[in-house]
Amino acid sequence: MPSVDVVVVGSGLAGLATAVRFAEDGARVAVVAAGSATLSWAGGPLDVAAVPPDGTPREGVANLAARPGHPYAILADDIDAAVAWFGVTMANGGLPYEGDLDRPLRPLPTALGATRPAAIVPAAMADAMEPWRPGEGLVVMGIQGDKDLWPAAVAAGLRQAFAAVPGTGPASITAVTVALPDLAGRRNRSALDMARRFDDPRQRAAILGRLGRALDGGPGGERRIALPAALGLADHAAALAAAREALGGPVFELPMVPPSIPGLRVQAVLRRRLLALGGRILLGEAVARVELDAGRVARVILPAAARETTIQAPALVLATGGLTGGGLVAPASGGLRETVLGLPVEAPPEADWLASRADAPGGHPIALAGIRTDAQLRPVAPLGSTVRRRLPSGVRIVGSLLAGQRFVDERCGDGVALASAWRAAA
Amino acid sequence: MTLSEPVALSAEACLKCNVCNTVCPVLRVTDRFPGPKYVGPQAQRFRLAAQAAPQMGRRRHIASPDLTVDWCSGCGFCTAACPADVKIAEINSRARAVLREVERTGPLGWRHRIRDRLLGETDLVGRLGVRLAPLANLLLQARLSRWAVQLVLGIHRQAALPAFARRTFAATWRSGHGALPVDPSQPGLPGPDRAVVYFHGCAANYYEPHVAAAAVAVLERNGFQVIVPPQVCCGLPLISNGRYAVARGRARRNVATLAAFARAGYAIVGTSTSCTHTLKAEYREMLDVDDADARAVAEATWDINEFLVHLHDEGRLDTAFGPRAGSLPYHAPCQLRSHGIGLPALDLFALVPGLAAEDMDHDCCGIAGTYGLKEEKYQVALDVGAPLFERLGARGATEVACDSETCRWHIQAATGARLRHPVEILAEAYAAVPAASPPGGT
Repeated sequence: MPSVDVVVVGSGLAGLATAVRFAEDGARVAVVAAGSATLSWAGGPLDVAAVPPDGTPREGVANLAARPGHPYAILADDIDAAVAWFGVTMANGGLPYEGDLDRPLRPLPTALGATRPAAIVPAAMADAMEPWRPGEGLVVMGIQGDKDLWPAAVAAGLRQAFAAVPGTGPASITAVTVALPDLAGRRNRSALDMARRFDDPRQRAAILGRLGRALDGGPGGERRIALPAALGLADHAAALAAAREALGGPVFELPMVPPSIPGLRVQAVLRRRLLALGGRILLGEAVARVELDAGRVARVILPAAARETTIQAPALVLATGGLTGGGLVAPASGGLRETVLGLPVEAPPEADWLASRADAPGGHPIALAGIRTDAQLRPVAPLGSTVRRRLPSGVRIVGSLLAGQRFVDERCGDGVALASAWRAAA
Repeated sequence: MTLSEPVALSAEACLKCNVCNTVCPVLRVTDRFPGPKYVGPQAQRFRLAAQAAPQMGRRRHIASPDLTVDWCSGCGFCTAACPADVKIAEINSRARAVLREVERTGPLGWRHRIRDRLLGETDLVGRLGVRLAPLANLLLQARLSRWAVQLVLGIHRQAALPAFARRTFAATWRSGHGALPVDPSQPGLPGPDRAVVYFHGCAANYYEPHVAAAAVAVLERNGFQVIVPPQVCCGLPLISNGRYAVARGRARRNVATLAAFARAGYAIVGTSTSCTHTLKAEYREMLDVDDADARAVAEATWDINEFLVHLHDEGRLDTAFGPRAGSLPYHAPCQLRSHGIGLPALDLFALVPGLAAEDMDHDCCGIAGTYGLKEEKYQVALDVGAPLFERLGARGATEVACDSETCRWHIQAATGARLRHPVEILAEAYAAVPAASPPGGT
């Protein structure tokens, strides 16, 4: 392959954002990824920080930044610029986000019948973020046979969730299930099938007509309507506008289990932007090895079909994720291994790995595992390590591979991904 | 049949994350296919369990809990997107092969079984068709005969079938260059530094000799003489239609001829990106033809654009392309992506002054080899390609580049645009400028 200025390994939020940032500065970029999954697992809201639960993302970032070893300790200064860039990039791609770092976290209903804290959300979820006015009701609408969203169960769950903090929720929560004859024969129906139907203006109109008629028989008065997060994929903006018009009044999407349409929309915007800037994406290719010249990254080697493909590149960004993303693996022989360069991994002592429960307060200690870096995101030896070996230069670490974060409990994954992308490409 | 364990067992790694379903072009358009996750790793549990149960007898090789795996077109996007390295498309391909061996009823009645056999026999069809070209082409154009073909064989009457050439590329080559060399030690052959082996495949041989001519011109322009050894169909249409044993025979024949050239250091360059991928990967991964000879052939095989980009990387490509104004939409075929070489056609187009090539960024045109020719799948093939066709229509595209022949024929029929192999574009750009040095010298 022709040489590039930078190879980014990984196609999640951190990888794609880093690649786009480099490409915006005129760099030739190749994204190489073993697979392309993590954005299809993302629910839609941008998780910057959720500690403390009733604060703003900005307070959350400050809290985490004060914790020694957290990625925000080096990245906090870039969070404003990175989140603003994300907002502009999404808006230009037809997927506007609402909210900002100073908006207090609020409970966003989900398709699991629970709430999750959110402050920065896609426009399709914005109608869930305003405080509920007295007497205002919520109607949860779903499609009959959708195994991923059961309106009655969602409504029951939400009643419980909002009751836990009196005065925060809707006055009433009702469930409406609508049968769609077109979908009746569909096997293993998912949000994907519905989103694609919403992309088609004719089918969209027919579905919304049925939803509207079902609603007419339901509770009147002031209400908001929650729908599965499936209002279109390729033509989401039109589908959302049509839904708001047809159903009259506030409508919002409920984040769902994978495959998550809101995450796929983000992936599509970033992907299109990268390709438009001349970037290349090679999927299904894990890195076989990286060759160095005098200690610096020089060539990235892909296994390819029969004969290795070589990409000449003086810079490499690892956006391979942590244990969930596949950037770290735990071989049977013990320890943790970083999969591309074999970088030394910072991790809690192995004795602790099985000691705590995953849902223990503060999270499981293994979540902290990752690669330690300097402020420029260049890999360095793990904190407390006495081993000093020379690490390759020309390397940056972004996203969940960075050590010291508990992205599940702290809900800092998206913010760390974007701020590190911003820093790596600076 | 033997199941190659790494493929069969890769299903164990499935996370059930569904990303394969999000990238499947067939699932995108039809309710008949439940998606790669279900027919692939999920159904694989039943297949593995059945194989381990001797009391199941013949049904031990049960293809699938149901027959819907037949709707998989084999594009391979699922395998590429899988974060857990499950070989989903490969699992499906094997399941389809077993389905054809075992199932006698249902959607695979005798009529379709005969059709699928015929569609795999590209050499036979090609030889007969070229011999009878004027008549055969007339019949392929006539509506009445296409109705008859659909009625008898189940090949959709509107599916794009290419016209046969009047003469095969191999026959034309023989008349200019004498008997095809079977051995690199044959006297008079140029060495591997000055020559490459050309694998024309069935498309350039029986239907598109002009693509072969363009490839020869481009290779000669870069100082390479072209050697055309005798060759048979790579076997991919047989694999796609479930006939692994016959495909294995084709693989062995090609490997037997090509291995000596590969070992002698010749590059084996092909214009059909699906043939070159078959030589590189499918012989070993799908057909278990995995000896030292097969590996030597795989490692020596290049997609022609990959080869030209490689020359350019090494500073050896003649870049004196004549200017060519205007935009050129480009569609990257599924098989090309399986090479893991990027999009070399775009790298080459960037070297042609004035040429603004544009990646259409569409997953699959729908045809998937012989898939879209079949009467029950033709509409799926049209629907899968529809966004691409609309995009091309909106641009008013009159000329489109694509590396794969079956995609070209399908897109051409659907849009009316003229479909070109990238090497044809390069040959024309070279032709506009006289060669700096005579062919044959580097």
